[in-house]
Amino acid sequence: MARVERRRRLAGVTRLALLGLALLGLALLGLAAPAAAADDGPLTVLSWGGAYERAQRAALFEPYTASTGRRVEVMQYDGGLDGLRRAAETGEVPWDVIDMTRSEAMAACEEGLLRPLSPALLAPAPDGTPAAQDFLPDAFGRCAITHTIFATVVAYRRDAFPGKRPTTIADLFDQQRFPGPRALQRTPAVNLEWALLSYRVPQQELYGLLSTRRGLNLALGRLDGLDEIHWWEAGDTPPRLLAEGKVVMASGYNGRFFDAMVNRGVPIEILWDGQVQEHETWAIPHGNPHPEAARDFIRFATTTERLAELARRIPYGPARRSAALRVTTHPDNGVDMRLHIPTHPLNAERALAKDEAWYARTLGRINDYFDAWLAARQRD
Amino acid sequence: MSDTRTAPEPGGERQARPVTAGGPALALHALRTYTLKMDTIPALIGPGRGPLAVVRFLGLVLLGAIIGAIAALFAVAFVTAVLELNELLLISPRSRMMFDHAGALMAITVAVPALGGLVVGLLHLAIPERRPHAPADVIAAVQTRRGRLPARAGGLSALSALISLGAGASVGQYGPLVHLGATLGSLGARLLRLGRSDDNIAIACGVAAAISTAFNAPLAGIVFAHEVVLRHYALRAFAPVAAAAIVGYVIATNVLERGALFHVADTAVPRPWEFAVFLVIGGLGALVAGAYMRAILGVTRLAGTLPLAPPLRPALAGALLGLTALWVPDILGMGQETLRFATIAGAFGSAELLLVLGLKIAATALCLGMGFSGGVFSPALVIGTLFGALCGSLVGQLSGAPQETFVFYAVCGMVAVTAPVIGAPLTTLLIVFELTGSYALTTAALASVILASPIAAQLFGRSLFDIQLETRGLDLSAGRGRAVLLSTPVAEHLTRDCVTLRPETAVAEAMTALGQARHGEAYLVDARGRYRGCVTLADLEAAREARDGPQTVGGVTAADRPLLRPDTSLWDAMARLQDVTGEALPVVDAAEDAFLGVVFEASIARAYLRHSDEMRREEHGTG
Repeated sequence: MARVERRRRLAGVTRLALLGLALLGLALLGLAAPAAAADDGPLTVLSWGGAYERAQRAALFEPYTASTGRRVEVMQYDGGLDGLRRAAETGEVPWDVIDMTRSEAMAACEEGLLRPLSPALLAPAPDGTPAAQDFLPDAFGRCAITHTIFATVVAYRRDAFPGKRPTTIADLFDQQRFPGPRALQRTPAVNLEWALLSYRVPQQELYGLLSTRRGLNLALGRLDGLDEIHWWEAGDTPPRLLAEGKVVMASGYNGRFFDAMVNRGVPIEILWDGQVQEHETWAIPHGNPHPEAARDFIRFATTTERLAELARRIPYGPARRSAALRVTTHPDNGVDMRLHIPTHPLNAERALAKDEAWYARTLGRINDYFDAWLAARQRD
Repeated sequence: MSDTRTAPEPGGERQARPVTAGGPALALHALRTYTLKMDTIPALIGPGRGPLAVVRFLGLVLLGAIIGAIAALFAVAFVTAVLELNELLLISPRSRMMFDHAGALMAITVAVPALGGLVVGLLHLAIPERRPHAPADVIAAVQTRRGRLPARAGGLSALSALISLGAGASVGQYGPLVHLGATLGSLGARLLRLGRSDDNIAIACGVAAAISTAFNAPLAGIVFAHEVVLRHYALRAFAPVAAAAIVGYVIATNVLERGALFHVADTAVPRPWEFAVFLVIGGLGALVAGAYMRAILGVTRLAGTLPLAPPLRPALAGALLGLTALWVPDILGMGQETLRFATIAGAFGSAELLLVLGLKIAATALCLGMGFSGGVFSPALVIGTLFGALCGSLVGQLSGAPQETFVFYAVCGMVAVTAPVIGAPLTTLLIVFELTGSYALTTAALASVILASPIAAQLFGRSLFDIQLETRGLDLSAGRGRAVLLSTPVAEHLTRDCVTLRPETAVAEAMTALGQARHGEAYLVDARGRYRGCVTLADLEAAREARDGPQTVGGVTAADRPLLRPDTSLWDAMARLQDVTGEALPVVDAAEDAFLGVVFEASIARAYLRHSDEMRREEHGTG
């Protein structure tokens, strides 16, 4: 009891301190305002396109323009750091803010491509809870701040397996009971994890095992057991392949599957077992045109209200607890969005947290190994 | 070894004067040596059964819980520190994968175990025995009712085990955890000034908590403490031990996060004929366990003959281990990943299984034999599982059946090898049960342990611990009664309360002296204090009656009496008594045959009865 009491008191103190800091920050912003006003060109955001971009436009970009008067220009990419590296080399980085997966943000941060980002710029929750307590425990990186949790999941066509349905991630590899072509992302990440999980390896040991040649071969062997794999790269491909009936099971981002299922009526179902959760972050590249405005945008886009609004349009879990509690129904079709969010307790029961520190260090070698395997498979 | 509750015995009165020929003042003390005091064997119920006894008993249970909490916290800290060190020192596959310099990684793989070995070797110089203390020392302390595990040596052993494991030596972590728990328990008992009986219970509490925490298996912890350490079942010990195990479990479930050791497909159930295979795996597993134990003992012997300073031996072993690991990394460290792969059908080829199995045995024997500090259980788990996997894949190839039950073979092999090594079939079964929660798997393991334990016990010994203790001179094969007697030297019952005569004493004078002292025999000691033999009243009588018999006692044909040394055990003394009709056995100095005194037959019998009684009270008493 005493501990709770003390913690509460401490929280009060930090809250006051943070409030002070925030006021100071506002004052400084006010001072800096004339400088920012000097360049009111559009803020350029690099994001993932598709249903995700539509939701971001409605929940973040348009309200931001409405409140600050600054236009937001959106560019699309499919992840990866090559574009950023090239831009940094030429010295012309066109983007102010990048929506990155955390593992890529960590790697980019280590390469010195991103500006350090202090969590002090974040707004407190509406009830005054400081951001440090409101965000999920590991939401703050050195150069990136997590705003949502998305999941890579498997979705299957409801009409593909009469009388039965996949219940575990191992069923993805069970061609006897669930025959038909699959669509998988053309990356080692997630595929390797699922392949090892199908041997009933406990989650805690997954990356230890994947660190051995034996583990990698075991996982790739499992993938090799699948007769027909369509490899996808852009996030909107797997829902399309499912909708067209080209595949019966596909991996993909849960938000895209939701969009296909609810907004377009594609007869698919999400298999939450083994979902791989990843942090989606905001990061600011070095050499961006509007550094001040970029920070300002991140503060705006990570407020409780904006995160909740985003989750009402695309079912990604908000990184703030206060926002997760405010998620309600979809503004257009009235679907209760809470049930479709990966972090919902019902869906998260057997969720897998991607070991992003591991990927940040090993991605190059793992990619090479995966590509060599893929090349060998396609030769055969 | 004396317990305050027993009446003072004559043997304890060391101040008694030696009786020399003609010496008048001897009779009174000597008389008492003939009265066997029946009150030294109190009734079984003894002092228990009262409100006070209940409070005392509850206090003991509370002590068990406290020891359990402390031992569990230490165990958690130890396990966490090992994992951290493995990450830091690039031993764990994850850290090795994340380290992106192939050349440097090779150098580190050899250097880390070698340097770790050097540190371990130097640490062991600070331990009186020049070797790490291990579960065998715990068993010896409890089985001889000595208790009192040394805290400093225990702490140093835990530290050197931490470094050994952290630096990737192929040794186990459960042995050090057990010893650490036992040392903490014994320390607690000493701080509270408890008796030896309670000291032993406190040791068992620490052991149970360590196992319960490390495996997340409270039942296995309780059974291990009874099966391996206490080796008897008494309610008096059970309650505190159970309390310690439960506290350890609660702490483990709230702090340590780990996956279960094995996973089983819900649908797979072995076919009836497979149980016969499990039985055979058990029999063969006993041989693998024997090879493993022999290898460890053999390297230990060989290491003693190496022309290399003892602190450098583990360093050499570490370097060899690192070099081999460049080729087969599976042998490095405790082998969590190898263990997991061995339960997955197809992760290893059959030839590969055989290779890793052989290398793992060799690596563990090398590390433990050359002086790394660590346990034998975790490597045995890996070796057994590899062996089971080998059997499973062979059966799969021969029968052509799908490998749904592969994990059953792996677990059967694991149980068949580990149970004989630690001499604990029930504990191993319970570990399987508590870790998997699978009844089918436990029954399969049961089938394999049926043959494994008795075959290994017949061929090699009850456990590696028992074999190690036997080489150190403590034979536990006949149980605790014998161990206690074997570890009690006769010196404790030595008395000079006897008739000693110079060899030149006249026969008649000698008879008078014996008569006055009311003794039946006298011991001949020359002027330099050396033992010259023993004469009985009957011998003297015969010499006096004979016409031309000897005039001095030195000439009388002395009765042939076996000699004892001060360090002769009570057990050996009893064995020698079988061929003697007489009242006492003389004790002489090992070097010069100097006469030290005698041990009366009655003292030996009484000591035997007293020890039996104490043990009976410990094993059957309730309070």
